[in-house]
Amino acid sequence: MPFHDLNIPYSSSQPSSALSHTLLFASELGYTTVALSLTFAGKLPSTPPPIPVSTLSIPQSLTILTRLTITISDASQNHRLSSFSPAYNLLALRPTTEKALQLCCTSLECDLISLDFTQRLTYPIKFTTVAGALNRGVRFEICYAPGISSSTSDDRRNLIAGATSLIRATRGRGIIFSSEARNALGLRGPHDVINLAQVWGLGQERGKEALCEEAGKVVKLAGMKRTSFRGVVEVIDGGGTSASATVRPTNEGGAEGRKQQATTKPAVTTQRAERGKGNEVVPSNGTKRKASVSSLGGGVSTTHDESEDKPLSKREMKRRAKKARMEGKAAGPDDTHPTDGAQDTTATSEFPIKHEALADSSNKVPKKKS
Amino acid sequence: MVRLKHRYLLVNILFPDLKNAPSAPRPKGVDELPYAIQFHQPSSDRMNAKLLMQMIRNGVSELFGDYGSGMIAGSLQVKYFSQATSTAIVRVSRDHYRLVWAALTFATHLPKPVNQACVFQVVRVSGTIRKAEEEAIRRARLSIRRAKRDTKTAQKVGGSADGRAAELNEDKDINLEDVSGFADGIDDADEPGDEDESD
Repeated sequence: MPFHDLNIPYSSSQPSSALSHTLLFASELGYTTVALSLTFAGKLPSTPPPIPVSTLSIPQSLTILTRLTITISDASQNHRLSSFSPAYNLLALRPTTEKALQLCCTSLECDLISLDFTQRLTYPIKFTTVAGALNRGVRFEICYAPGISSSTSDDRRNLIAGATSLIRATRGRGIIFSSEARNALGLRGPHDVINLAQVWGLGQERGKEALCEEAGKVVKLAGMKRTSFRGVVEVIDGGGTSASATVRPTNEGGAEGRKQQATTKPAVTTQRAERGKGNEVVPSNGTKRKASVSSLGGGVSTTHDESEDKPLSKREMKRRAKKARMEGKAAGPDDTHPTDGAQDTTATSEFPIKHEALADSSNKVPKKKS
Repeated sequence: MVRLKHRYLLVNILFPDLKNAPSAPRPKGVDELPYAIQFHQPSSDRMNAKLLMQMIRNGVSELFGDYGSGMIAGSLQVKYFSQATSTAIVRVSRDHYRLVWAALTFATHLPKPVNQACVFQVVRVSGTIRKAEEEAIRRARLSIRRAKRDTKTAQKVGGSADGRAAELNEDKDINLEDVSGFADGIDDADEPGDEDESD
C-alpha cells in the first residue's frame, strides 16, 4: 500500500540529522513516498535552490521527491513559476486570499494547491473555483501537522474548519493529506490520518484514496508534465529486449507498453475531475479527445485494465479491430527492430493513421516484453 | 437481547524524540541502537492504564466537547497496557470509536507526571479483544526479530559473520510490510457472535 506524505518541510538551516530522523520515522510509520518541500513567500530568488537529497541518509523503503511551495498573495508573483517547476518534482501554491485562490485554480500552472489552515478561513470556498482546478488536474492538499502539534485550540479549530469546508467544496474528490511536520513529532501514521479524514466527513473510501491513490496521481501527473510532451511521447529506458522470439498480437503488446508507461492513465471515468487528466494525453492524429480517452482504456482485456470503465460502443470495437489488423500486418515483418529510446503511448500506436514523425517507432511498442 | 458492541483499538506509543526519551539510564552506545528499537521504547514507569484513560477522556472532551465525552463514557476502558512494549488495548463502543481514535491522533504527549512527547499510532481496530491480543503478540515477535536482524547487520559491518548469513537470510522473509501490517487494512470484522443478532 503506497502511502504518500507529500509535504515535509525542508529548510537549509535545519541540521540534516533532524531531517534524516524525520524521514526514518516516516518510513517506520509506513509511508513509502515522501516529498521534501521548500517554501517561498514573496520574492523568489533568481535561481531555484536545490534540495540536497544526497546528503541525507534515506531509509531504504522510502522514495524521496522534491517540491517547491510558493505563497501567493497577489497576481503579480506568477511570472516565473514555469521556470522553476522543472527543478523540482512537484510544485505547490499556497494562496492566501480568495482572489489568489481563484487565480491558482484557474490559470496558474501547478500540481497542488495547499491552503494554510492555521489561519482562519475568511472566505467561503466555492465549488465553482474548486471545480476549475480539479478539471485541470490540480489537487488540493490539507496539511494536518500544524494543527495537531500545536497546543492552542485556535489552530486546531482553524484546521478543522478549513478542512471541512474544503472537503465540502470539493465533495471529497481531489484531496490529499500531508503532514507539513516540522519534526518527527508532527507525523502521524497513515491510518490515523485516514481516520481523521473520516471524522471530518470524507467518507469511507475517499480517505484512503486521499492518501494513496490521489497522491500517487499527483506525483505521476507532475512527472508526466515534466518529462513527457503532453503525455504523448515519453522517453523510457529502452531495455533492448530482443523481440524476435515472441510475436505478440499488438493489442496485448499495446497493453504491455501501456503498463510500462507508469500507468499514468487516470481511471477513465465519466467524472469531470478526471477528464482534465485524460485530456493530457493528446493523440497525435486528429481524433477527438473523447474518443481517444475512451480508447485508452481499451485494448484486449487480457491484462487487467482498471482504466476501462465504459462499455465499448460497436463503432469503437470495429475501429479497434481494424487497427489491430493493420498493426498486425505492419508490425509482422518488423519484428526484429530493437527498441530505441523513444516510445509512443499506446494510444498513438493503435491508430492506423501513422503520423510522420512517429511512423518508425510505432512498430516497436508492441514487441517489448519486460 | 441487545448486545453492546465494541471496538478494540490496539495502540502503539512511539517516541521519535530521542533526546527526552523516557528510559532513565541511557546506556552509552544508545545512538547505535537500531532505529526500530529506539522508536518503540518502553514508557516510563509512572505511566499506567489509568493515566492513559484520563488522557483519552480529556482529549475527547477537548476535541468533541461534552457530546463526545458523554458518548464514549459508558464503554471507554483501557483493557491492557504494557509499559515495556508501550502498547495498549483500548475498548470503545462501536459507534464512536472514531472519536477516541481522533483524540489519540491529536495527542502530542503523555500526561502530567510523565510528560513526554510521543506519537500515538493505532495499529489495529478489532471487534474482539482476542484478535487485538493476537496482533499485539505478532507485532512483538516481529519487532524482536527485526531488532535482532538490525543489530546483526550493524555488527556484521565490523566483522564477517558467515555463520550468521544463513540466519540473516531467514529473517529476510519478514518483509517490513508485515511489521507495519497494513497490507490489508487494519479493521477486523465484527465478532462472529454478532451474526446471530437480530436487531
